[in-house]
Amino acid sequence: MRSHFLHMVIYATIVSTFFATMFRDTPKGRLRLGGILWLAMVGGALALAYVMYPFPR
Amino acid sequence: MPERKAHDASDETLGRSELGRLAAIVAAAWAVPGLGHILLGRVQRGLLFAMLIWGSFALGLAHEGRLALRDPRQPVLSSLQVVANLGVGPADVAARIGVYGKPVYRFQGAPDWRSEDRVERIFRERARSGVSIYGTAYLWTAGLMNLLLLFDVWDIGKRRKD
Repeated sequence: MRSHFLHMVIYATIVSTFFATMFRDTPKGRLRLGGILWLAMVGGALALAYVMYPFPR
Repeated sequence: MPERKAHDASDETLGRSELGRLAAIVAAAWAVPGLGHILLGRVQRGLLFAMLIWGSFALGLAHEGRLALRDPRQPVLSSLQVVANLGVGPADVAARIGVYGKPVYRFQGAPDWRSEDRVERIFRERARSGVSIYGTAYLWTAGLMNLLLLFDVWDIGKRRKD
């Protein structure tokens, strides 16, 4: 599996689920924290990639 | 801070035998990711943690992740990498035996990239693989997550956390 994007999504899912389970006790709280972390990782990377797109080198 | 005082009081109520039991649970949590939470009665949470850590570890091995070796040229950084690998417990030893043929944790002297030493050759070939960077990230993440879980188990056992 060589898709960088797919690995990023899998990695973000593992890490955000881990921290949400560790730091929140309710399903609602976990979903909220997990969602925020996941969006921060995947969305942040995509936003950074978009900003860097005009500067390939 | 009244909350802090309450925590300190609960720490003092743990007897010696309870502390010994907790230390054994932490050791079990290191040896088998997720087991610490299960032994403390957090079965669902423990199973989920186990799934995440074993999943990350398996993905790391499947993608030829680097099983770090202590490099005398970069002792601090490479030692930290070894610690991250060792976080998953004895599974790391088993992985090294499977990959290198023996539980090796350091280069024999400074690594030479033209060396025909079996361990160095395998290490080099895995590092060259196109997917090794992903595998390495998964392996280190699995180990570090498990190390973090040890603190969580300790806090639950000390009644600082539910």
